[in-house]
Amino acid sequence: MNDLSFGSALRSKIFYLLIFFFFSASFFQLFKMQIINQKNYEIKSEENSIKEVPLVPPRGLFYDRFFNLIVGNKSAFTLEIVPAFYNKQYNSIIEKMLEVPEGYINKIFNKDKNYSKFLPRKIMRGLSPKFIAWFEENKSQLKGVDYIVEMQRDYSYGISGSHMFGYTKEISLNQLKLFKGIYEMGDYVGNNGIEKTYEMYLHGIKGAKLFMVDSKQQVIGRYENGEQDIQPRKGYDLVLTIDKDAQQIAEQLFIGKKGGLVAIEPETGEIIAFVSAPEYDLSTFASFTSGNQWKELINDPDKPMFNRASMSQLPPGSTFKMIGAVAALEEGIIDTNFTLGCGGGFQFGNRFFKCTHTHGRVNVIEAIEKSCNTFFYQIILKVGFDKWSEYGKKFGFGEKTGIDISEEARGIMPNSSYFNKVYGKNGWTQGYVVSLGIGQGEVSATPLQLAKYCALIANFGKTKQPHFLKGFVRNDNNQFIPSNYKQIDIGISRKTMKIVREGMFRVVNGAGTATHVKIDGINVAGKTGTAQNPHGQDHAIFIGFAPYENPKIAVACVVENAGYGATHAAPIVRSVIQAYLQKEVFKKNQLIAKKEAEQ
Amino acid sequence: MKVNYRLQDRFDFFIFIPLMVLIVLGLLGIYSSTVNHPTANGNFERQFSWALISMIVFFIVYFLPPQVFKSYSLTGYIFSIILLILVLAIGKTVYGAKSWFSFGFAGFQPSEFAKIGTILFLASWLSKDNVDINDPKTLFKCIAIGFLPILLILLEPDMGTSMVFMVIILFMLFWKGLSLFGLFVVLSPGIVLFSSLFGKIIMFIMLALILLVLILFKRNIFTSVTVMVINLGTGFVFDIVYKILKPHQQKRIDAFLDPMADPLGSGYNALQAKVAIGSGGIFGKGFMGGNQTQLRFIPQQWTDFIYSVIGEEFGFIGSLLVLTMFLIIFVRLLNLSKQANGSFESLVTIGAFGLFFAHFAFNIGMNLGITPVVGLPLPLLSYGGSSLLVNLVMVGILMNFYKSRRLYD
Repeated sequence: MNDLSFGSALRSKIFYLLIFFFFSASFFQLFKMQIINQKNYEIKSEENSIKEVPLVPPRGLFYDRFFNLIVGNKSAFTLEIVPAFYNKQYNSIIEKMLEVPEGYINKIFNKDKNYSKFLPRKIMRGLSPKFIAWFEENKSQLKGVDYIVEMQRDYSYGISGSHMFGYTKEISLNQLKLFKGIYEMGDYVGNNGIEKTYEMYLHGIKGAKLFMVDSKQQVIGRYENGEQDIQPRKGYDLVLTIDKDAQQIAEQLFIGKKGGLVAIEPETGEIIAFVSAPEYDLSTFASFTSGNQWKELINDPDKPMFNRASMSQLPPGSTFKMIGAVAALEEGIIDTNFTLGCGGGFQFGNRFFKCTHTHGRVNVIEAIEKSCNTFFYQIILKVGFDKWSEYGKKFGFGEKTGIDISEEARGIMPNSSYFNKVYGKNGWTQGYVVSLGIGQGEVSATPLQLAKYCALIANFGKTKQPHFLKGFVRNDNNQFIPSNYKQIDIGISRKTMKIVREGMFRVVNGAGTATHVKIDGINVAGKTGTAQNPHGQDHAIFIGFAPYENPKIAVACVVENAGYGATHAAPIVRSVIQAYLQKEVFKKNQLIAKKEAEQ
Repeated sequence: MKVNYRLQDRFDFFIFIPLMVLIVLGLLGIYSSTVNHPTANGNFERQFSWALISMIVFFIVYFLPPQVFKSYSLTGYIFSIILLILVLAIGKTVYGAKSWFSFGFAGFQPSEFAKIGTILFLASWLSKDNVDINDPKTLFKCIAIGFLPILLILLEPDMGTSMVFMVIILFMLFWKGLSLFGLFVVLSPGIVLFSSLFGKIIMFIMLALILLVLILFKRNIFTSVTVMVINLGTGFVFDIVYKILKPHQQKRIDAFLDPMADPLGSGYNALQAKVAIGSGGIFGKGFMGGNQTQLRFIPQQWTDFIYSVIGEEFGFIGSLLVLTMFLIIFVRLLNLSKQANGSFESLVTIGAFGLFFAHFAFNIGMNLGITPVVGLPLPLLSYGGSSLLVNLVMVGILMNFYKSRRLYD
């Protein structure tokens, strides 16, 4: 650059070069951005500008068989934190205000580490008014923290139903992967019971509120005034087979007791009442469950979380005697003229099997009526172990009923191959079989199985798979869609059933063991049982159905460690039957009792 | 003898038509980005009024006697300096810089006015016959003329505008015939300042290189030492300036050095502007149809990021139209600077070229993500009344020269 003259051609050229250089660079960059990479930028631009805030639909409600609401929803406040905007120094103060242990918030953050920091984490449901007031005062400092209104289960409709309803729980990362697209982090899904089985009906369809957000992710307004918002679709309401009154009285009568009760409509398999005691409080699961509350529930020796109604497996005791009776009658081994003498027990080999009384000569009807052990010790031997077991299987023992909750046990219905397996091929004798005839020993059943068994006897061997769901109400046109269930016919002759039923009728109405179960105006039939318990007090059992002529309800009731079935289980069954069949009378009596108690 | 020239010989449409196109595009961009804005929704009307006023002023300047610019250049310069001092005392702070006089209905930035004042005065000083730009004393005086407003503007502090001043002065000195050594003397402090942004080690390497070049130039010891001292001084200026800077300005520097360090901060604006432009595609999303713009993703988009509105809504075609219009203006300015009657007119034209080019290059470069984020408006398009007025006065002066050139033939 030796040319030092003013405005020389060289200097002019340098300026032109500068312009040329800059314009080429800009042109190239524009071309790259707007033509080559246009798609990438477009995607970014679309993602950025509108923020979707999911609207969680309310879960479907539960109605009982007469369309009474039994599980509802209520609105509650849920605390949310967006980690990207949140300063962790506030952890301790928030934890203190929430009354949760230290490290609670970090634990939630760590759980979902791999999720976008810009997605809100649900910290706690069911915030107290005190917390809301405190939060509103300090909102400006607590960046990234907010609360939203959410629907929460409302159990204030008079029944507990903890084990059949089940509860919802925040979705796990595994479930999230499994149900990609349907659920998002922080969603609640059914964890057990009906909530779990019918999750797909209940959860509804999510909606979304669309917001415009500025570069700081701050909301600057509703997108198109909310016209493009997607409304959430409430989940389908379930109509259950439960009868609120029967369920309620059963739950009340089980307070302070352990055990299970299942009531079934014999013809349809519909479950009218389903109780497992002790219950646990579902509402604690609807909001926040503290570690301590959990521990308490898990470590409680009474095991309140254990669903006794369909999972406890206890020897069915004398309620099992009808198996032997049906088997012997069906196989033509006995008829009503066949009698056996009872001298207070039965000598088999070198062992004496006791009876409760000395019954003298009894036929099969009287044997059921009076619950004669001597008769049934011998019947099982006459029928043969495996034949007897076959009949037990026909009534559904030893296998799951297929009820529509996943908590179910199969119980034990032994036969010779089972004993071979347990004791070895020659490790057991016929002596092992004798007490099975009266439902003691190596045999067990759940209250649910007993209820199905009772229903089968009541309805002459025909029923449907036991179930909770009568149908659901569609959320678009409010149409009720009834559910269908498998028909069961175990193929026992009407003649045999008549005989057995008569025996059960006499238990209540003759000289039987449960005459105190009688209800004015309804003919009740039943059978008591007492399951021997080597660990403590015997378990009281009663199965019964009514009306005898045209059964509408079959109930099985097990009260653990209570003693005689007639004394402790039968009255509960009586109340449930009355509550279901004589609603008006029952309610009137209850009112009177209440008034008397007040005076 | 008076000759009746054709209109195009008296009025330069090569500059005027692109100028009008750019002003209209700017108004469209401002309309689109502010009409639905809760606080800035009157900006289109305001800018439109300013455009009309500026047009009137443009024609007034156009018809002024050509001598006034040179004869009043010193007055204008002194007046500018006084205003710049005044604004530091009683000015209004906008976006962290004390750079505005507020008159209620409108604001006015003295630094805008100082651009014209400085260009005219420096041009008139440099166009004196006895000035030898390569004489060190003269050079230092020239730099001093330019440095005074730069210093005052840096105090506001307004980094972007002071950079524009540096470009203007550099271009004018270069045009005047600054030697390679002179150019080195002028540029080296800038290089040192820039390198100091990247840490002390790089700065010292750069200082060592400058020392080496100084030795190679083999100038007298006094000159060399002076240049070295100035360089050393500027090397440490950055630390001091950085500390004086407002947090938002520090962040801008940080964001330039590491754009992803603060993705939601100032780097984010530039990123969103890129997204807006890139998503525009060939034909754009249509007027009022850009979601980045309509959802107001880029804060103050109508000022420094107006180009991203054009890019998003008018696409590659619109973006290229803006570039082309500027290209025509720049080429025309360079042609005019060669055809000018005298060195004063020529220098003023180059000064104007420097002014527009600096704004244009920093602004477009920032919008396209090829230069650092420096808050400078795009001339003629960005929202801002005093800026538009000053730009049109500047073009008015050039048109005045154009009108006058043949009359003196």
